[in-house]
Amino acid sequence: MKCKRCRKAEAAVDLPSHNSAFCPDCFFLFFRRQVSEGIRKLSLLSPEDRILVCVSGGKDSLVLWDVLMELGYPTEGLYIDLGIEGYSDRSREKVLAYAGARGKEPIVVDLRAEGIPIPEAAKRARKEECSVCGTVKRYFFNRIAARRGFTVVATGHNLDDEAARLLGNLLHWDRDHLSRQHPLLPEVAEGLVRKVKPLWRVSEMETAAYGFLKGIDYVTEECPLSFDATSLIYKEALSMIEEKMPGTRRRFYQGFLDKNRGVLQNSDDKNRDVLENSVPGLCATCGAPTFAEVCGFCRLKEMVSQGRDRKRSAQ
Amino acid sequence: MIRVRIPQKKKELEVPGPRRVGEILAAAGIRPTTVIVTQGKRLLTRDQRVEDGETIDVLSVVSGG
Repeated sequence: MKCKRCRKAEAAVDLPSHNSAFCPDCFFLFFRRQVSEGIRKLSLLSPEDRILVCVSGGKDSLVLWDVLMELGYPTEGLYIDLGIEGYSDRSREKVLAYAGARGKEPIVVDLRAEGIPIPEAAKRARKEECSVCGTVKRYFFNRIAARRGFTVVATGHNLDDEAARLLGNLLHWDRDHLSRQHPLLPEVAEGLVRKVKPLWRVSEMETAAYGFLKGIDYVTEECPLSFDATSLIYKEALSMIEEKMPGTRRRFYQGFLDKNRGVLQNSDDKNRDVLENSVPGLCATCGAPTFAEVCGFCRLKEMVSQGRDRKRSAQ
Repeated sequence: MIRVRIPQKKKELEVPGPRRVGEILAAAGIRPTTVIVTQGKRLLTRDQRVEDGETIDVLSVVSGG
């Protein structure tokens, strides 16, 4: 199969969802254009932004960092070592190697050093690992960005992630989550910085192909704690549909953003009104902005500490 | 035979060649949108023919969480 753009070179990536196929050079152009169009369409970033890119060592976040640098944005990487034996060490290695080769030194937060490694924290607090991980990551994204003067936090969520999340939210008619699902979450208050997902137009397969062709050495193993994540079930369902009807996933998510997001918001949704009209206060423990008296991260740390006390007294 | 390596699953299988990548994936029960197929430093499209005695790698692109 020949590249459908240059019509000369052999195609390396076929994209039935775009009714196209590209050679490596033309695919790089296509991919960068998809990302820059996604940024432009939703005004995710401006040239004045200082961008904190959250990198896990996986394909999506490293590709995001790579493409943002290629597009000329000023970026720094943030790596959060989750304290998962083996997996975290290998991921950290990939991030440091990628950054080092490009003259960058990522900011590293080590959750073991912070006393809150995810596997132990989840066990002690008696909570789901993915939920604990989300709370901890959000806290450090905001804290590091605010303390170091970043104007925006960028994460590597792609089209498949967002479409799967949309399907999950629709299946549960979760209006609250639906109203907040968007590649741009504006800054709510000082210390709760803007969050963006610049890869929202590109699929997981496209991201992986870009990473492979660019020679980005990413960690291919999955987080061992996410093997039963519900998002995988939604992704599987969407893949099955995508295979029979290429382009459906893109139309599903794009249609939500273009036309239907407003329709799904309930004008008398009390939770949303309360959130939109609220001004966060400061956490009584750590001083971070929060809508509660004590922020979610400090509440979690307290639960972990109580769990450790319980364990000690049982011994 | 074509050697098909699926490193993330620590799995390997053999299918008779020559065959196109799309046919190999179908025989292995793998959805094409969930993987990239590589041969050394090359990325293979679904219509590419793999010869007997060659090896390909199938890498999952699906991330959870």
